[in-house]
Amino acid sequence: MPIKVLAFAGSPRRHGNSEILLDWVLDSLMGDPDVTIEKIPLTEADVNPCRGCNACEKLNKCIQRDGMDSIHDKIVEADCIILSSPIFCMGLAAQVKALVDRAQVFRSRKYVLKLPIVPQERMGKRLGIFLATAGQNWPHVFDAAVPSVKCFFHVIEVKDADISYLMINAIDERGAIEHHPSAKTDAEKLGRSVITDLKKRLAA
Amino acid sequence: MTVKVLGISGSPHRHGNTETLLDSFLDGAKAAGASVEKVVLKDLSYSPCRGCNACHKDGECVVKDDAIVLFEKILSSDCIAVASPIYTMGITAELKGFIDRGQYLWARKFILKTLFFSVEHIKRHKGLFISTAGQSWDHVFDGAFPAISAIFNGTGFEYYDNIIANNMDEFKGIKNHPTALREAFEKGQKVISVIERLNRP
Repeated sequence: MPIKVLAFAGSPRRHGNSEILLDWVLDSLMGDPDVTIEKIPLTEADVNPCRGCNACEKLNKCIQRDGMDSIHDKIVEADCIILSSPIFCMGLAAQVKALVDRAQVFRSRKYVLKLPIVPQERMGKRLGIFLATAGQNWPHVFDAAVPSVKCFFHVIEVKDADISYLMINAIDERGAIEHHPSAKTDAEKLGRSVITDLKKRLAA
Repeated sequence: MTVKVLGISGSPHRHGNTETLLDSFLDGAKAAGASVEKVVLKDLSYSPCRGCNACHKDGECVVKDDAIVLFEKILSSDCIAVASPIYTMGITAELKGFIDRGQYLWARKFILKTLFFSVEHIKRHKGLFISTAGQSWDHVFDGAFPAISAIFNGTGFEYYDNIIANNMDEFKGIKNHPTALREAFEKGQKVISVIERLNRP
């Protein structure tokens, strides 16, 4: 059965550490004939920040016309959504925060308008992955990013328990992740296990 | 010497709950004799940090826009109040975009070692975070604090206090909150007297 993977490369810098981590996950899925992958680098996505106008609470859509229009539909259609971000100033990069905040339209749909995000038969069959790299070696360097990530997945109907995380700290210089002892293996393992899980759920 | 206070409003929408709370703080500071200025991020033109790390070499940002002007303004202030509503458990993308641009100051401090704030300097420069959230959860501000610490650390300000009010959805706006606006005004007055005392020879 076809599995749609939607991946966001959130870094403002192309092919840096967080995107390499993402590519490792995606590479592990490439060989699977059931899997189609779409990768969206946010540098090319034209996603403006949320204006906080709350119009989506009435309109069930955003009043802004930008790259989020097509991303919105792709988020609904995807079975697996992967978000990658470097940590800047202890949080998500601003570009990723903009994407996450624009998911407000889903929150309005779900909680204000009480409408479904995905059809009933797809509930519980969507998985999320959050990938991050940080230059700092503090173990708590990801703590402030995670609540925003959980919120994002929650409003697009991916449960807390269905989000997997691979967050690697102490990765500072360009390409430093290549020298990390386990990141590549962990990324590939994660990719494969998420797809195995998805296949099981979609077959059920 | 007049204490210089700079308010930075990070909300994409004008005169909402957070900016109103910031205004109340600034009114308090003004009442205590400070000179007060407010900058609204949505009216500025700046782009988020590109992560290019060029600043690691010379301590300068390659992007010349309003963000740099605002950082210079922060560095010449005695007190800054950084305000943002909570969106998706964090500060707005506008404010995060601005804070991330402070990387050039980080580079000056930690890589090039051309920027140094003494303990005394930090003590005399007070930073406050002003925020509102729709959610009633007490932990709704937790994801915002680390980024706020980052901008205060980078610019040589002590993280002096928070003026935060959650549960805005329930209160139907900051004007109906029983204490927040008064608290903000009083904290505005108070911080000026604290800074004045510290600056006395």
